[in-house]
Amino acid sequence: MHPFTYARPASLAEAVALLAERGPDARILAGGTDLVIRLRDGTVAPGVVVDVKRIPELAPGIRVEDGRLVIGATTVMTDIAAHPVIRHHAAALAEAAAVVGSVQIRNRATLAGNLCNASPAADTAPALLVHGAVLVVAGPGGMRRIDLDDFFVRSGVTTLARGELVTAVELPIPAERIASAHERRTRRRGHDLASVTLACGVDRSGVTRIGYGSVGPRPLLRLDESRTLADAGASADARAAIFETIFADASPSPRSMRAGPEYRLAMLRVLGRRALATSIARLEAEGVA
Amino acid sequence: MTEPMTGIGGSPARVGGLGRVTGAQLYLADLLLAGALHARLVTLDCARARIISVDAGEALRLPGVHLVMTADDLPQPVPRFGPQNADRPVLASGETKYHGEPVALVVADTREQAEAAARAVRVEHEELPAVFTVAQALAPDAPLVQDQALRGSDPRAGTNVLAEHRVGWGDPDLAAAGADLVIERRHTFPMVTHFAIETHACAAAPDGDGVAVWSTIQHPNWLQRIIAGLTGMPLSKVRVYAPDPGGGFGGKQHTKYEPAVVFAALRLGRPVRLVLTLEETFQAVRRASCEARVRTGFHADGRIAFQDIEADYLIGAYTDIADRVVGKGSYPAAGPYNVPAVRIVARSVLSHTVPSTAFRGFGNPQVNWAVESTLDEGADALGIDRLEIRLRNLAKRGDAFIPFDTPCDGDWEQTVRIAAERIGWGTPLAEGRGRGIALGIKSGPTTGLSYSIVRLLADGSVVVYAGTSDMGQGARTVFAQIAAQELGAPLDWVTVVMGDTAIVPYDQQTSASRSTVLMGNAVLLACRQIQDRLRAMAARLHDVDEAAVTVDRGLVRLPDGRELTVLEVLKPGLGKLGGELTGLGESRKDAEPGHPLGGAPAFFEFNCTAVEAEVDRETGDVTIVRHVTVSDVGKALNRLQVRMQDEGAAIQGLGHTLMEQYIYDDRGRVRNLGAIDYRIPTSMDLPLELVSEMVENGDGPGPYGSKGMSEGALLCVASAVGGAVREAIGVPIRDLPLTPERVWRAIQEAAAQDDNTAAGERGEETQR
Amino acid sequence: MTDVLPIEVTVNGRRRTVSVAPHHTLLEVLRDDLALTGTKECCLVGECGACTVLMDGRAVDACLVLAVEADGTGILTVEGLARPDGMLSPLQAAFLEKGAVQCGFCTPGQLVAAHALLGEHPHPTRVEIEDGLAGNLCRCGCYQQIFEAVEAVAGTAEAPGGAVAPATAEADR
Repeated sequence: MHPFTYARPASLAEAVALLAERGPDARILAGGTDLVIRLRDGTVAPGVVVDVKRIPELAPGIRVEDGRLVIGATTVMTDIAAHPVIRHHAAALAEAAAVVGSVQIRNRATLAGNLCNASPAADTAPALLVHGAVLVVAGPGGMRRIDLDDFFVRSGVTTLARGELVTAVELPIPAERIASAHERRTRRRGHDLASVTLACGVDRSGVTRIGYGSVGPRPLLRLDESRTLADAGASADARAAIFETIFADASPSPRSMRAGPEYRLAMLRVLGRRALATSIARLEAEGVA
Repeated sequence: MTEPMTGIGGSPARVGGLGRVTGAQLYLADLLLAGALHARLVTLDCARARIISVDAGEALRLPGVHLVMTADDLPQPVPRFGPQNADRPVLASGETKYHGEPVALVVADTREQAEAAARAVRVEHEELPAVFTVAQALAPDAPLVQDQALRGSDPRAGTNVLAEHRVGWGDPDLAAAGADLVIERRHTFPMVTHFAIETHACAAAPDGDGVAVWSTIQHPNWLQRIIAGLTGMPLSKVRVYAPDPGGGFGGKQHTKYEPAVVFAALRLGRPVRLVLTLEETFQAVRRASCEARVRTGFHADGRIAFQDIEADYLIGAYTDIADRVVGKGSYPAAGPYNVPAVRIVARSVLSHTVPSTAFRGFGNPQVNWAVESTLDEGADALGIDRLEIRLRNLAKRGDAFIPFDTPCDGDWEQTVRIAAERIGWGTPLAEGRGRGIALGIKSGPTTGLSYSIVRLLADGSVVVYAGTSDMGQGARTVFAQIAAQELGAPLDWVTVVMGDTAIVPYDQQTSASRSTVLMGNAVLLACRQIQDRLRAMAARLHDVDEAAVTVDRGLVRLPDGRELTVLEVLKPGLGKLGGELTGLGESRKDAEPGHPLGGAPAFFEFNCTAVEAEVDRETGDVTIVRHVTVSDVGKALNRLQVRMQDEGAAIQGLGHTLMEQYIYDDRGRVRNLGAIDYRIPTSMDLPLELVSEMVENGDGPGPYGSKGMSEGALLCVASAVGGAVREAIGVPIRDLPLTPERVWRAIQEAAAQDDNTAAGERGEETQR
Repeated sequence: MTDVLPIEVTVNGRRRTVSVAPHHTLLEVLRDDLALTGTKECCLVGECGACTVLMDGRAVDACLVLAVEADGTGILTVEGLARPDGMLSPLQAAFLEKGAVQCGFCTPGQLVAAHALLGEHPHPTRVEIEDGLAGNLCRCGCYQQIFEAVEAVAGTAEAPGGAVAPATAEADR
């Protein structure tokens, strides 16, 4: 590994100032499960690595505040997968966090890190898109909020400006709860990078939200506002047609080692159907109770 | 039946287990080698390239760097070595021949400094046309992999076929004319790598007027011979330390980078250690891939009329032991069956890829996949049950199923019936599921030489010297058990010394599942010599005829019926001066000139694997619901270890069956180096139920009737799973691994064909 | 550029102060600076689990943790599983008894991961065991035996002094 300077700012202001000053020569270190690999293989060679884990505003933790679920940026996947509030309000997110990697990875990988790496295959992204996640961002210009759907540009690139960092991920807690489910395709049952990752959410309004990734440069969110997918009376053909429009922008890379494009496109539809069925079942289950 | 003290037939705890659970066990990378410098390899980002120049200037200026060594720094002409052909240069000479072949060795004070220096070495090179597949290698104008000067008078010198092995009997073409059904199929087996969790590593240091070498090697004596040859030193001046490897599976059998490290250490007069990364290890060793065309003829009643097998194994850029793998692996390719006419042609095809080497199964799994799968398709075509067809053709004890060779040496039908019963063969199958059953056979060692020295110390404790490499299979434990049994010592009073050529007598190698039999017998014979001395002692002490004294299981029996413990004879026998009794055992299997394998197999490993699988037709996922593996082991000296070996082999076989393969780009570079994109089975990838059983008829040539084992349960995994998947989806898949995508694609293509057929039929109807 | 930073880390119950370079991983510092070679190096990308240690009670891959990040934390390695007096932990003893050890190279990581698993789930289901150990590759294929060892220990309280077998001095050669 190339040597670098290690900084561990104790305050948000300090972190922002350092990141603004050093720009691309700085890399944020949260869980390290992506960064350390890149440091070792030389794909990144920053002059300074900024460890954000001791900044109070980014502290790990999940709380409900003003009708929003607020997840601290350095919250790790293990805690997200296990948290009862997340399991209740955003099941797809809990499910995704549980499969992000092995337990060793999940004990370190942070939600913010998973998003800021902007890998198209980030497992938490589809679930967060479905649940309307908003990123709370601190920067030289102060605090701002970014809708997650406006955050991803393409692989490795986000709309964060120089000096900015994510302090929290917020999920609105809507009056009409979104029942959701996560599905993914891997090469083996053991933990693996997904060749397709997908989340589906339905609410009583009948709108279906589908987020999906690993089939293009960034994770995508699409809605079915025709309410066909959630309609128990809809025919399989009608649903299939809706899925076609939802997946129309999928563009899996032909050069991927993990799976070929034809398979991925087919699996999108399979996973979409399965996640939809699970979401609907979850929505109905809560009605019964 | 379990022997109480020593646990022969029981499951005593692993000898050497303690250090493994406390972290005290020292593997090669853990050894404290005072003053050792660190080495790193310099390799190119391409497969085949002409080396134009190596500029080490910048590297040598970096802090802590002692040496940048290339082939030019070695004795000229560049020394070459290899277990079969001395074709591999110590460092790439003039040309790299595979992605990952070292061009230079960098040595520095710390690992980090060596890494930085390796990155700073500039190798000017020109990428050359190369071959990475069988088709490419055999094309008429294909670039040749081997330097022609090395091929000598080989008639195939102008081709990439290193060697061809022909085995056969009877007249397959005549048999074809009389067969009721002849089918021909092609199957492929992928390139996979061993992925031992411990990467390859070695170290060397000047040792007086000789050299000390540490290595993860499975064959220390073989390494010693090669180093002696390359350095011109006598064997006695080359000391090889071989700590227990962290997994080997055949990949650590043969010398790879030790010679380079030795030359560096001698040149610098300092110890030098090289620990490969996992990626570098993937570039150092693999299994040969294989394309096999099998033509099988059947009679209507299911008897096999003939087998006509052509197998092209794609080996790497240097021979290593790959050609032996091809020859030995293909030899029993016709299977454990009585087949009247057989023709097997197996070729070792060179390519600009990672040199393939030994890997558990040694060339058998590749042809097993093709032959057993074809047998399945034949059975279906004839309307005969796949278990029945195997039983109908299966060799019985004593059958010379390979004419003039070791006959069938077990009750193989018993093994098969147990497996069939455990899988529930013939019982109703749930929707979406299928079952497969397959037989695997492998020749045991064909020649061999192992020595063991055993010392019975004055207090009755024992030291066993055995040059076997214990890489997890539990050899150390088995030898301790034998000595404990024979000399009446408690198991934890036996120390087993391995892995030091200066102390431990010669062992040819650890491979071919040979060690329980060959080294076990050597240990046994050494103990018998000690028993002879005990008998002489007892005769002297009690003034009786030596011939009338017996020693059995640690008890010395006098002619009048009195029984004494070993210690009751030993103590007075040694007298005031004390001392010890030493025995030397030699277990030898001489070569048989004229035998295609150099000798007849000492035994066969035989296994039956039966699998029930469920396929998710929408995704192609294969779930092994139940996996049954039954091996004929003769006698299990340590039941727990036998079970562990068989289950471990089964799981390893699921790797190449379901998920493992090298992915090369069109420039011959391996794209999936490392653990992220080369997938092996994890704890979550096991069969839902894995059942292993063993057959013990005491009919092996090893101690107490044991046979060698540990490869059998891997041999036919793919064939059994393939058969189950075929039944589940109704479509044969003839390439491995059976990834979800491949299975899905087969289902899609079959459905499309059905649609076409249906459409065609509808079309015909319309036209009519 | 190679600043060296002092870190304080409690390893296996012992407070240690080490000077580390920022780009050195916890794995490197444990093995090279603290001579704790029980934790192994293999894939270096957080896939194989051979380098598993506990950091503040949670299983992590030491190859992906920079040593500086471990400042102020408590680390448990395989060397810390046995009792101070050398007695094996019930888990270590169970591994030996159930034959959950073949070549042994993955064993330290398996033990630490299993130790953490049992800390979280004292009575884990088979599925929980599989998931808890999915980040520890075993190429020898000991998985079933490892599960059995964990199941054997599950529910067994590790009472103080309730140790099992003596860990005698050195490893076998």
